[in-house]
Amino acid sequence: MKVAVDLQLCEGNARCMEAAPEIFDVRDDDKTHLRLENPPESLREKLKLAVRMCPRQAISLKED
Amino acid sequence: MEKQFSLDTIDIIGPDHYAKNGYPHAEWTWLRKHKPVFWCEHLNTDPFWAITKHADIIEISKQPRLFLNGPRLLVFVNDPGMEPSPTPPFRHLLDMDPPVHGEYRTIVSRRFTPRGVRDLEPQINAIAKKVLDDVTGRDQCDFVIDISSKIPLAVIAELLGVPHQDWEQLFQWTNETIGGNDPEFQQGTSAGETMDRARLGLFQYFSEMVAQRMKHPTNDITSIVANATIDGQPLPQLELLSYFFLLVVAGNETTRNATTGGLLALIENPDQWQRLKKNPALLKPAVEEIVRWTTPVIQFARTATEDTEVHGQKIRAGESVCLFYPSANRDEEVFAEPFKFDIGRDPNPHIAFGIGEHFCLGAHLARLELEGIFRQLIDRLDYAELAGPVERLRSSFVGGIKHMPIKMKLNPAQN
Repeated sequence: MKVAVDLQLCEGNARCMEAAPEIFDVRDDDKTHLRLENPPESLREKLKLAVRMCPRQAISLKED
Repeated sequence: MEKQFSLDTIDIIGPDHYAKNGYPHAEWTWLRKHKPVFWCEHLNTDPFWAITKHADIIEISKQPRLFLNGPRLLVFVNDPGMEPSPTPPFRHLLDMDPPVHGEYRTIVSRRFTPRGVRDLEPQINAIAKKVLDDVTGRDQCDFVIDISSKIPLAVIAELLGVPHQDWEQLFQWTNETIGGNDPEFQQGTSAGETMDRARLGLFQYFSEMVAQRMKHPTNDITSIVANATIDGQPLPQLELLSYFFLLVVAGNETTRNATTGGLLALIENPDQWQRLKKNPALLKPAVEEIVRWTTPVIQFARTATEDTEVHGQKIRAGESVCLFYPSANRDEEVFAEPFKFDIGRDPNPHIAFGIGEHFCLGAHLARLELEGIFRQLIDRLDYAELAGPVERLRSSFVGGIKHMPIKMKLNPAQN
């Protein structure tokens, strides 16, 4: 699975980092940086939660 | 047993219904089950599609070019016999659409991210402490007037750099703006007139402040907006002044009502209050649950730009959809036991702050404020009970509590 963040939409609300800190890192530029672009299957539930919690709906998940 | 309703008579938008009964949760629950996209025709407002499901509100909010804010920001019900008020002369983030909306939002958005509001935490905690210090020693108060209304006002006034002596005036203008339909706040003959007066007052006030901040910028948000440019041009006067109007109004009523409704929920659910007092680490999820439970913004509307479909229902270009956030936040398909107030709820994907393009700019600030006040209450409030009726605002836009008399035992701060 592959994760992508739309940086035009991302505003640094950091909900993704709360849901899946292994994958997302919101830095001082108020943008989400990906720690993992292809997270392992074991993080699927956390990733789905991050997608759902993003206030700007900026995160997308694509299956390989 | 489930309460039954008829589509011909069900009332989810009449302001009187809200003043008398609070939120129409029984009605919304019925609609979610039987008619999640419902063509609602009500006296004194144009018809609209009532959207009551969590997933449908998200789907609509994710498509800000298909569903616009500009044409009809919310479903406003006029009072019988009154002329519908003309479109209010505003232009701010709430009624802007992409791509302009983003350009305007960026002007202040970085001041409102978690990182942006982090530095305000000590200040907010100090304000919350001071407000409680002022009522310590009394055994009764009006929680709205004495406590919950004071904190958000103080915070937004600080952010904007408004001097202390003008806070009362600011408070009155915001009451009149949101409460124009309510007899307690009405000035003049109608809701429209009341709101107009408040708007003019605010515009006048901030135009003087802007002139001052253009000459001598400080670090406050007024200076940022006053000196902002878009494509190299300063903001036009209407957009500039509307910006302050939005920040003042949005920053006040909502947090006030979440605070009041939060304490009310804790009074009505003493087990949850005890749980929180014993385990203050639950403060953050408790605040999320308070926000879900109270959902102070009842609705915003969108207008379809082309023929489309929501939940299988055809929506035609030009028709409006009205998004009922409190209903989404009780959606049985999203929340286990949605009518249970559970301060440990996890996950809690409520959409009380909206979602997508127009996601509440002040969400993180609101969270800090609620954490600040409830941290104080956990530490210092030994008990509280209602000492009179809860008086609700006559509005189907913001779920307001105007007065909530309580008996209490509030201790002095430890340090």
